[in-house]
Amino acid sequence: MKLSALIRKELGRIRADKRSLILLFSIPIILIVIFGLTTGGSTTKFFNAAIISRDEIPTYGDYTSNSSEYDEEFAGVFIKGLGSFGFQGYYPCPNEAAFLYAYEKNMELLRTEVIDVFLVLPEYFSEKIENETTNWIAYFVDGSDSQAISAIEVSMQEPISVFKQEIEMTENLTVLIPYLEFDVPFWEKQTINYAFPLTIPLIIIGTTMNLSCLSIVSDEPLPRMVITPTPKSSIILSKLIANLLIMVIQAGEIFIGTALFGLYVLGSLFELLLVLLGVGVAGVAIGLFVSSLTTTEQQANQLYIILFVVIMLFSGIYINPDDLPTAMQLIVYMFPLSHAIPLIYNITFKGLPLDYVRYFGLLILSAVYIFLAYIIFLIKKVEV
Amino acid sequence: MRKIEEQNSNEVVVDVQNLNVSFGEAHIIHDVSFQVKKGEIIGLFGISGAGKTTIIRVLTCQIKSKNWTGKVLVTDLTPEKKKNHQKILSRIGYVPQLELLNLYFELSPLINIETFASNYGMKKEEAQKVAEELFTILDIAEDTWTNALKKLSGGEKKRVSMAIGLIHSPDVLFLDEPTTGVDANKRYDILNYLKKLNRRLGTTMFVITHDLEAALVCDKTAILREGKLLAFDTPQNLIQTLPSKGLLARLTIEDLTEEMIEIIQEYEHCEKISRVGVSEVEIFLNNFEKNLNYFIDYLLEKNIKIVSMSRDVANFRRFFQILIQEQEEMERKEEKEKENIGRERREGRAIEDEREIEENNAANE
Ligand SMILES: Nc1ncnc2c1ncn2[C@@H]1O[C@H](COP(=O)(O)OP(=O)(O)OP(=O)(O)O)[C@@H](O)[C@H]1O
Ligand SMILES: [Mg+2]
Repeated sequence: MKLSALIRKELGRIRADKRSLILLFSIPIILIVIFGLTTGGSTTKFFNAAIISRDEIPTYGDYTSNSSEYDEEFAGVFIKGLGSFGFQGYYPCPNEAAFLYAYEKNMELLRTEVIDVFLVLPEYFSEKIENETTNWIAYFVDGSDSQAISAIEVSMQEPISVFKQEIEMTENLTVLIPYLEFDVPFWEKQTINYAFPLTIPLIIIGTTMNLSCLSIVSDEPLPRMVITPTPKSSIILSKLIANLLIMVIQAGEIFIGTALFGLYVLGSLFELLLVLLGVGVAGVAIGLFVSSLTTTEQQANQLYIILFVVIMLFSGIYINPDDLPTAMQLIVYMFPLSHAIPLIYNITFKGLPLDYVRYFGLLILSAVYIFLAYIIFLIKKVEV
Repeated sequence: MRKIEEQNSNEVVVDVQNLNVSFGEAHIIHDVSFQVKKGEIIGLFGISGAGKTTIIRVLTCQIKSKNWTGKVLVTDLTPEKKKNHQKILSRIGYVPQLELLNLYFELSPLINIETFASNYGMKKEEAQKVAEELFTILDIAEDTWTNALKKLSGGEKKRVSMAIGLIHSPDVLFLDEPTTGVDANKRYDILNYLKKLNRRLGTTMFVITHDLEAALVCDKTAILREGKLLAFDTPQNLIQTLPSKGLLARLTIEDLTEEMIEIIQEYEHCEKISRVGVSEVEIFLNNFEKNLNYFIDYLLEKNIKIVSMSRDVANFRRFFQILIQEQEEMERKEEKEKENIGRERREGRAIEDEREIEENNAANE
């Protein structure tokens, strides 16, 4: 009873804050529409591919069985013309000499633009699938057209994910190692399909932080509230719940928009929604943290901007945390997008299942921010 | 809503004995003692910085017990113990000086009321029922109950704020400067509403104020200066302590000068004189009835021309001013004495120091 009235009050306050609400609900929709219209939801380009298999090379020692049926199954996916690929040729190589020959030939085809990409299946391809150990595929693309590279990379995920479904194995399989011929850094240009899943968590975190970062500082009757028997914990809890409710509505909006426009998501849409919710929780948590740490609206707004920029910088898009010294990595991992972006990336591009360990890490991180906000709020001087 | 069983009973609701408040080095409240009985309206007067808010903050559990000493009971519970806070807070109400500190302007009066009522564990229906009663007493029109508060006038906001303070039928209501920043007509309105609420509900009220007019509705007034309680009694009793029980002569004098005031002061039965306008003075005489005629003779003798004269009884405002003035004069005197003693001591020490230096020099040589 006590809490529900407080939550209702918080929701009323949020409803009156039209500016934040407009930001919260319009930006994602605008983004979805723009991305949706420009990409049309699916890749229309058609690529020609060839496959070289080294799987046929007999293996000894490491693996007891000497199987080699999965390479054909993989090629089959391409042959069926699934996804955006046309099939040019399949080159099973029983020995190194055959492989070298096939390789030279395909390079020539690539150069003459008969094919756009060729894939190389490694020696232990089938064995690794059977043993469910981490597997890989290398692929070679023409690096002269950077836009095509990105498009091929994106499209490549599709047959791979179909293949994964066919062999009924989702985990531990096929970590793709993109390999580029002609040496063009492939991250240089990102297709719009890349941009969307990476932009959306930024938008979510920005707008949810914006929503909650004034929740405490702009609550002017709060000191008065403190001289009632209501404990401070109920006050902050009601703020958290109200903001989370609004955030869930936003995540729902994004989810439906994404599904409607058929934006590029290889993995489970539901898992994507879970991650987006996780990002929203983090945004609300950090917003509350900002709000309890600061004493004026101006301070809160400034800290919000600063934190938002830091979160953006440490999202893993601009700086790869693995390249940083350990101490620095720890700092990077204190910010939610360094966890959320890889999660989203894995689901949307790689079609991998949700990494629950990392996901709970993200939630725990939010819990830490909420806890800090609560502690600061407890010792914060609020006086009439 | 709880009705008063017995107006002005002798039950003590707030009991303060030898309250001292310090923040580190700063000693803010000095040995303040008073008792408040059920149903009384207490006015807490004092110029800025006197310590009014500080006393209220002790009573409303907002100052840590390490910062104050003394015996304090609010509805028989001491705010010294943290475990009493919840109980005390549920038995008192508070109306802050600024409405924006008490009201969510973007929400309606009813939602505001329900929110605060929920803090006291009241159900929505219960809160609405009490709110209706309070809004009726406070003349808050029904069509404004569900409008956003920001659309209401300043006076209406103030009244909603008062209703919130009373929503849980508290034993004591604290009001911080309820009339400050409100225009003259509304000031009396607010004071009237306070009196009306007090009579209808029997709530004990503590009014912090600069507004000396507010004494009109107070059963007792407390006057604070620099953390000391100078007076605590009914306004009438306080005025009675003035010479001749507060009787005074108000004179309008032609071409009034400072010298004339000095001359009047020299009159042997003149207790006090204060200038209250360009050409007006108020004069307290001892044995007023007897000496008034002699006093007028004295003025004529000294060639002071009286344009008009009236006799009156001092109001609370005058009492307050006189009390503060007297206190200031006393302190000034004390300070001078201290200074004199200090100077003597310093001079004494200087001589000793010189002697020491000379002795040292001699030894060095
Ligand atoms: N937490 C504190 N630490 C140190 N000094 C304080 C503290 N709170 C109040 N004071 C000092 O105590 C004195 C009394 O303050 P208080 O707010 O009680 O005055 P007041 O009578 O309410 O004045 P006003 O009419 O301006 O509200 C002031 O000099 C103030 O500076
Ligand atoms: Mg004050």
